[in-house]
Amino acid sequence: MTTFHPREPRRLARREFLRRSALGAAGLVIAPSLLAACGGGDDGGTSTATELPLARPDSPVTLPLYDDNAAIAAGLEPEDGPLRIYNWVDYLWPKKLKEFGKEYSVDVELTTFSTMDEAIAKLASGAANFDVFFPTTDRISRLAYGKLVQPLNRDYLPNLANVWSALQDPFYDKGSRYTVPYVTFSTGIGYRRDRLGLDPAKLDNPYDVFWDDSLRGKVWLLDDAREAIALALLRKGETDVNTEDPALIDAAKADLLDLISAVNVKVSTEDYSKVPEGVAPVHQAWSGSMIAAQWYLPEGVGTEELGFWFPADGRGPIGSDQMAVLRGAKNPVLAHHFLDFMLEEKNAYDNFAQFVGYQPPLTSLDPDRLVTDEVVPPTLRSAVVRESDFDAGLQELELSPDGQVLWQNAWAEFKAGL
Amino acid sequence: MRYPRWFWPAASLPGVAWLALFFVLPLYAILAIALGSVDPLLQTVRPAWNPLDWDTAAFDFVFEGLLGGGGFQKVFVRTFAYVAVALVLTLLIAYPVAYFVARHGGRWKGLLLAGLVAPFFISYLMRMLSWINLLQEDGWVNDALAWLHLVDEPINWLDGRASSVVLGLVYGYVPFMILPLYAFLDRVDPRLLEAARDLGASPAEAFRMVTLPLSVPAVLAGTVIVALPMFGDYYTPDLLSGSPNTSMIGNQVNLYIRGGQQVPVGAALVCVLMVVLLVLMLYYLVATARVARRAGQA
Repeated sequence: MTTFHPREPRRLARREFLRRSALGAAGLVIAPSLLAACGGGDDGGTSTATELPLARPDSPVTLPLYDDNAAIAAGLEPEDGPLRIYNWVDYLWPKKLKEFGKEYSVDVELTTFSTMDEAIAKLASGAANFDVFFPTTDRISRLAYGKLVQPLNRDYLPNLANVWSALQDPFYDKGSRYTVPYVTFSTGIGYRRDRLGLDPAKLDNPYDVFWDDSLRGKVWLLDDAREAIALALLRKGETDVNTEDPALIDAAKADLLDLISAVNVKVSTEDYSKVPEGVAPVHQAWSGSMIAAQWYLPEGVGTEELGFWFPADGRGPIGSDQMAVLRGAKNPVLAHHFLDFMLEEKNAYDNFAQFVGYQPPLTSLDPDRLVTDEVVPPTLRSAVVRESDFDAGLQELELSPDGQVLWQNAWAEFKAGL
Repeated sequence: MRYPRWFWPAASLPGVAWLALFFVLPLYAILAIALGSVDPLLQTVRPAWNPLDWDTAAFDFVFEGLLGGGGFQKVFVRTFAYVAVALVLTLLIAYPVAYFVARHGGRWKGLLLAGLVAPFFISYLMRMLSWINLLQEDGWVNDALAWLHLVDEPINWLDGRASSVVLGLVYGYVPFMILPLYAFLDRVDPRLLEAARDLGASPAEAFRMVTLPLSVPAVLAGTVIVALPMFGDYYTPDLLSGSPNTSMIGNQVNLYIRGGQQVPVGAALVCVLMVVLLVLMLYYLVATARVARRAGQA
């Protein structure tokens, strides 16, 4: 069984290679954007240049409701389908789609995207008609203000009660007006004990493991601007992972550039396979990738060789992905039912444990149960996200346009090498 | 019978339409994106189709980085170095192969050619993925080197090495060099070589003074065919290295083009790269024209 980490914007999963293999010449690299452009990006219809509020835990956002984008009424009959779902690759257990289709006697069609930007460009072009979408937290405001998603009618979503209360009323979408949570994750340090030869958890500052020059050639970062720069910030004790202070970002960039000469650092988003295969003895990693990593271990290597470190006090990067119903949905009632179906205890649990590796925020789940159920090996206990992590954890959230430019340029300079 | 005046010029219409649709329009779209903006709400690109709306901020940023010694300059210099080395190696491999098949292939020519091209029916990315397996520490490359006693310790070829990236580029594009060279060498008039031998040239001299000069246009054509995709490559360094120290222009283009606030910067990088390549293309055109002129005089 395979799974990929689906939420990463710049990942290069093996499957995607096939899709990209046609893009050879320099000019062709631009093709996706070109298509988006030709699809009507010029209409200006959705651009009201609204100053988006930046949701923060201490500055929650209640997303606006619009007269021309109302929620569906309660008690409607589900449509005849087909239900069209727009999701990351391998981020849903196909068996669950079949079961849903059977329950409602409809066809379910899954279409996948590989980056959030690609997905939103396609949705904004109006050329796509999907019912259900899986947005990341940092895009929810944009999607609601841009009227690409529709408000939810909670009458259809009784199973929302199954999830952690903090995520039933999250600061980025107070009252869950437009979204419900799908899965959660944290970002920490993944490693192969036998290949690394030291335990990052035992270091005074575990993040220092990346800068340890005795580990030259063994060190990998996530190929993700937000995650990698946040790591450099956290190492220096800076816990504002959404800072837009140029001095802090510059310092983080300098620290990352140091990694190139110190350990010849490499970047990838295949933490789920590179760590278990031993290619990356230590890799900045997503919790869900490390849980999935046990399925990638070579024969003869036990799960006890996998390790994951996340700050015990929960002051590390954490996040969740959401489900939403698109405004242009042809099957809004069915879409609501699908959201509720995926929030149902058993469906959410099986989808996580059997296929995705990313954990739904169910109140019934805790590290003890997952270890007992043998979904998670004892050595990966810290890869289980707890509700309390959402109090202490640090979410990488929407930046202002200037902030995005600051982060992206710092990342581009790191990626250009020495 | 007399044809109306528009008749013969009209025959060029399909070609003109093709160029307009698949070359001029996409080119203008890239330019419009580079000089355009990003939707503030949904962050989708908004190309500036109207020249009056052009905003050169992205180009300013790219030139600043290129001339000011920033990241862009590093990747441009690195990319040109990688492509130059890869081109030389490609030529050194492709020429003898094409020469052998063309001159000594005999009745096996077709089979040899098919055999050379067969692996390239497989997707470029699949072939790079196989190289990952071959190059890894316990892969066949290290096994072979150890068996030949060339190395004591297995070498981690995937440890972010420039040599692995160049190897990937060479392997990936070498057939596109072999084919034009073969097509040319196969057509060299044997009487020219016989004449050279009759006039006292040794086989080596005949090659150096007849075959090699004649094959210059084919070498240039192969170089152009191979160099252009190499300049745009970004997955070879991603796959065979992963180190920022081996990233190429394509990687920076990819970083900016895949979304966010600065898609125009990615498009501007593409434009700058295209202008540089255009200069190289012009040299190719001038050089081949010169060769053709000389052939005409001879």
